[in-house]
Amino acid sequence: MIHAAATPPAHDVTPSPTNAAPLLQVRDVAKAFGATRAVRAATFELLAGEVVALVGENGSGKSTLVKLLGGVHRADAGEIRVDGADLSTRLAPHTTHAAGIAIVYQEVLVVPPRSVLDNVWLGADGLLRERIPTTVKRAEATATLTALLGSPPNLDAPAETLSLSERQACCIARALVRRPRILVLDEATSALDVATRDRLFALLSSAVADGMGVLFISHRMDEVAAIADRVTVLRSGETVASLAREEASTDVLVRHMTGSGHLVERPAAGSGRPAPGRVVLRARSIALRPGCAPFDVDVRAGELLGLAGLEGHGQDDFIKALCGLAPARGAVTVEQDDGGTAGIAGPREAARHGIAYLPRERKTEAIFPTLSVRENFGLPTLGLDGRLGCFRARRTAARLAAFVERLSIRLAGAEAPITSLSGGNQQKVLLARWLATRPRILLLNDPTRGIDLAAKRDLYRVLTELADDGLAVVMLSTEVDELVELMDRVLVFRDGTLGATLAGESLGRQRLVSAYFDGSGS
Amino acid sequence: MTRRLLARPYAFALVLGLALLAANVIAEPSFGRPSNWPEELAAMTPFALVALASTPAILSGGGGLDISVGPLMSLANVVLVVWLLPSRLGSAAVAVPLVLLLGAAAGALNGTLATVLRFQPVLATLCMLFVFSGLAEAIGDQPTSAPPNFTTHLAHSLGPVPGALLLLVIPAAVWLGLRRTPFVRTLYLVGGDDIAALTAGVRVHRVRIAAYALGGVFAATAGIALTALVQAASPDVGLRYTLIALAAVSLGGTPLGGGRGGLLGSFLGAASIYLLQTLLGALDVTSTWLQLIYGALLASGAILSAQVGARPRRSRA
Repeated sequence: MIHAAATPPAHDVTPSPTNAAPLLQVRDVAKAFGATRAVRAATFELLAGEVVALVGENGSGKSTLVKLLGGVHRADAGEIRVDGADLSTRLAPHTTHAAGIAIVYQEVLVVPPRSVLDNVWLGADGLLRERIPTTVKRAEATATLTALLGSPPNLDAPAETLSLSERQACCIARALVRRPRILVLDEATSALDVATRDRLFALLSSAVADGMGVLFISHRMDEVAAIADRVTVLRSGETVASLAREEASTDVLVRHMTGSGHLVERPAAGSGRPAPGRVVLRARSIALRPGCAPFDVDVRAGELLGLAGLEGHGQDDFIKALCGLAPARGAVTVEQDDGGTAGIAGPREAARHGIAYLPRERKTEAIFPTLSVRENFGLPTLGLDGRLGCFRARRTAARLAAFVERLSIRLAGAEAPITSLSGGNQQKVLLARWLATRPRILLLNDPTRGIDLAAKRDLYRVLTELADDGLAVVMLSTEVDELVELMDRVLVFRDGTLGATLAGESLGRQRLVSAYFDGSGS
Repeated sequence: MTRRLLARPYAFALVLGLALLAANVIAEPSFGRPSNWPEELAAMTPFALVALASTPAILSGGGGLDISVGPLMSLANVVLVVWLLPSRLGSAAVAVPLVLLLGAAAGALNGTLATVLRFQPVLATLCMLFVFSGLAEAIGDQPTSAPPNFTTHLAHSLGPVPGALLLLVIPAAVWLGLRRTPFVRTLYLVGGDDIAALTAGVRVHRVRIAAYALGGVFAATAGIALTALVQAASPDVGLRYTLIALAAVSLGGTPLGGGRGGLLGSFLGAASIYLLQTLLGALDVTSTWLQLIYGALLASGAILSAQVGARPRRSRA
């Protein structure tokens, strides 16, 4: 019996005999895939009642480590001890729950056509045996999702009708309703909107007070600072530091993660940059949803324009309207070089008039997972590599090489499968794909989501350079820091319309975050 | 009420089936006479059961597909006619469980090939299609008529009840029984996203093997229905059924991707195809054109069905 009642079970008040052993102990764990040594020597401990953050650049082995804990992969060497017992050879996806481990993965793993209830309780039942009565399931799912979402969910709605943030909340609820002693959150917050994330943190702090141990993985330093008691840093699959919260300033963490003495070079925002050029893209009387106030936006050459807001407040609709993917009421026009204008009603016109769009869902909307880096890079620009009607792969490779250097893409070779690259490097290849089309307007939909700090820093540098060269960059971002540091101007969306425009002096953290919430609720 | 019904994945097959039923009655008034129903139902049942047999593997997702169900039906038929019925094992109480067990074992073998051994399901079941066909041919190499046996009634009436209905009750009862367990729900979850299911602790391989085994049980039931209908060993009819059964599944609103649709849709799809055949027969369409018309209608039907059913609902955040 996993549990029997809708009320939280009383946690062991009496110290258990194994109290001396840490809840979770990972020692010298290693895992290789072919020649790639994803994890070399990971070592850390998690005690009951604490939050340990695991940080490291993409490709540092965090996700592999999580998959070892989840039994998706099996460790080549090392020990994974739960309450002192070595489970490293026994963990499998169907046994982790019995070991008290629940994992929320970075990918939002819901079953789209099935109900919220089924998604929350996925995996709890046997093949033919119902382990938990439906009434208990409904009560538990309602309680947990209400705590996460702030309002009672419709348990019978298919998961595909939910927003990304709500779907991820289902995945987190799936872990929480099983009442794990060890909760692993692998970038699980990157898909959440800010309000849901804050509710999750509140929920976690009470669960931790009751003795749960949380392994928290995030690229967001503000989140790590907010909830971690200790921080373990991984670099190239090895534990390089374990720090108490007080020691773990962003600068220190970055130094450990990158292995270099340099701190993140903040891109020079605003001040040092040339004034924006003429208007290249006009959006007029845009109404994203019926009944929402229409608004106008001009995008200028050489400008870095940020789109912000709480998840689902219209910024996503707006960027898709700009690239013609989801035309909204109103008009989007491009100012052409010859002085004429052209309307954008679909993705083909957008592409023809120099608008490049980098979608949000890298895995499903942007990469071709079965193709190589070169093929992924070259698809929209194959025409450049033809000669007398014959396609020359070598030409693509040559064009790619220039971008590899400029964007600091780390890859084994141009013919390596795109999926062999880390998330940040995949994103750079995709950026190169669209830069190769020589766009005049670059639209990016949350391009730094789930990529590591070094890759972010490269991306910021490249975007700044591109803007200096006269490219208009419109970037939707969920990260306050990058909006404040990188952008010339930020449009904040609220309730399906433009709520505020911040630039120059007014563009600061506090102003920005308060602009997310102004007018909604109160 | 009507709107909710029309939102179902099988809505198209339901409407099409009813329209074809009406057309059949208009074209051939005797078709509607209740005294003809048991025979009509018996003629349709083997095919409908093969369509049901194709469904669980498809629902289980991951490219799941079992094209060996037709030949498995023939194998069950041949085993029944050549081995079981003439022997002391020929009574319904013994022969039916044995044949169903054969189906389950054959299905589980398919499932194991497709999951644990990671064959492409199409290729794995293509191999088994030849194996089952070959076995059926080998066992039933002599034309064999069935001795008087319990299946005779199934092609006609048992009192007021059409006999074939009893055979259709088997899959319905099995399915409804399984719906009372987590199995059916888990099957749809695995079909909808196997990675989500796996990481949540679902034993994906087991669920899929069970799905193939379930298809095998339905295929064996089809073998009994076929025996009832022809009262002889027919090792070679199964092959033809396989592909049309897939058409029935697709017409019934179950996409090949898995996780959506269901058995009722496949039954309605099979009924529509059967009614289409009888209608074309009643209208004296020459057999030369029959296949062509049939294919064209199926193609348009499958497309329309995909449009009407399984409409993807997008989030409007």
